[in-house]
Amino acid sequence: MPPIRLMATTGILGYGFTEEAFNAGVAMKPDLIACDAGSTDPGPHYLGSGTAFVSRAAVKRDLGLMVAAGAAHGIPVMIGTAGGSGSDVHVDWVLDILREICAENDLAPKIAVIRTEQSKDRLHEKLAAGKIAPLGPIGELTGADIDDAVRVVAMMGPEAYQEALADGADVVIAGRGTDAALFAALPLMRGADPGLSWHLAKIIECGAQVVEPREGQDCVIGTIYDDHFTVEPGHPDRRCTVTRVSAHTLYENPEPFRLKEPDGTLVTDRCDFEQIEERVVKVSGSRYEPSDTYTVKLEGARQVGFRTVFIAGIRDPILIAGIDDFVRSCRERIQRDVAALGIAPGDFTLSVHLYGKNAVMGELEPQADAPVHELGLLLDVLGRTEDISRAVLAKSRYAFLHTDFPGRMCISGNLAIPFSPSDMHVGPVYEFNIWHVMACDDPMECVRMEWIEPEEARTWRN
Amino acid sequence: MAKLMDIARVVRGKNAGALQLTLDVMFDDEDTYRRVRDSGVLSPRTIAPLYGVTDNEVAIIPFDVAKAIKITVPRRVRSGSPGDTDVYGAQQHVPLMQIDLPE
Repeated sequence: MPPIRLMATTGILGYGFTEEAFNAGVAMKPDLIACDAGSTDPGPHYLGSGTAFVSRAAVKRDLGLMVAAGAAHGIPVMIGTAGGSGSDVHVDWVLDILREICAENDLAPKIAVIRTEQSKDRLHEKLAAGKIAPLGPIGELTGADIDDAVRVVAMMGPEAYQEALADGADVVIAGRGTDAALFAALPLMRGADPGLSWHLAKIIECGAQVVEPREGQDCVIGTIYDDHFTVEPGHPDRRCTVTRVSAHTLYENPEPFRLKEPDGTLVTDRCDFEQIEERVVKVSGSRYEPSDTYTVKLEGARQVGFRTVFIAGIRDPILIAGIDDFVRSCRERIQRDVAALGIAPGDFTLSVHLYGKNAVMGELEPQADAPVHELGLLLDVLGRTEDISRAVLAKSRYAFLHTDFPGRMCISGNLAIPFSPSDMHVGPVYEFNIWHVMACDDPMECVRMEWIEPEEARTWRN
Repeated sequence: MAKLMDIARVVRGKNAGALQLTLDVMFDDEDTYRRVRDSGVLSPRTIAPLYGVTDNEVAIIPFDVAKAIKITVPRRVRSGSPGDTDVYGAQQHVPLMQIDLPE
């Protein structure tokens, strides 16, 4: 098998990479230029609201460079989990940016669009057929969960990417997929060892996480051979090290040795990592255990209310000394004040975060009573409606600003409020309510493919 | 008595998906790694109360190749759900840093 070379441009499309690293990577003649744009780390808002956690300008910059190099050298370009969450509206957002890039640069690629947002009817059918199970500590899926979800995506494996590449796609814009499937697709279809293919894919999907020195995101190049693979940075002044590469095998996985993919599990317990050049790490010994059932992860988010927040500083030492009692009496007052507006306790939640005390770890903070001279107060109201959210926050602000406490000297106000207006309206709030796995009879059953053919054969491969 | 933060090179935490928190403790040298791994100090009984979970919810997995010990616990609140304080789970490693190790 001739070596297969893959370039991962950055951990998330829009997080950026240096042109120096990118150009050096392109000069190594990769067989694929790709980037997974997805993460659930920023939380449920982005799947729920259908928005991205990176800017349009940043995506256009990264994708523009990738597409230009792909066109100049005839290298396919693939984007996985478009828009960050990979639902249809996210795919359309990236497709729109791609069209703009193509129009501005007179490019006419053959585009494969892969969609993995799931219809609710289909999810109900799969649920009824007993094909959906929890993924980790979450309850069994219910029909109500499906109905409540704003949108649900399935995390596909490599098969649709392979179909797109086999049918001659120049650019692939895909919905939700596993990070590694994007990079494993090409070596697997060319007959590379599955263990090495999946492990290489897993290591490069986060971009420059495996590179030293760590100065933001950058391009990483993986090359797969018959019995090993190598990883190296695009940037000539940076290095991949055994420490970084082996540590990345652990990253964001609940287990270090076993990484579950739709049709099997990558097992890395007998891997060997070797520094073969100053900048290059060689990996061998990765294995892949095929599974009997093809399963895809489902991610869904439902709306849980509307958020309004408020930030202020507390400096008064008497107030800080009695802060717990003060928060308690404010809460009681707020309850009474909003009841007078017809707002019931079940219509909202008020979270009080005290930065400097225990806002990060909550009840588990081991040093909650350490002496401090200043506290940051964050009030977070989640209301059933936008109006309720705003009203409760306004009453809360007033209560914290003007409620008495024992020994109070600062009788004109308890808070340093840093700006006006003080109340910030965040809008709708979502939570992940579907985090399950779905068994599929066919890997392509959760996928819809569309093609956008160039109107005339033009510049992509000239 | 040394604290874990004095002898480890990396003590980090991060989401492993929206439902779990995974914590990695990594060491520079083989001896220190083995000493901590074999000391039994990083046990479910030590870790569970730090994260408000039960002993059997704590998974502790040494990874010799990386001279690392991985600890995975369920999140008390799903990432980004009401009541969460750390959406990425990136600042929940601190209680581990303070663990005392036998000489």
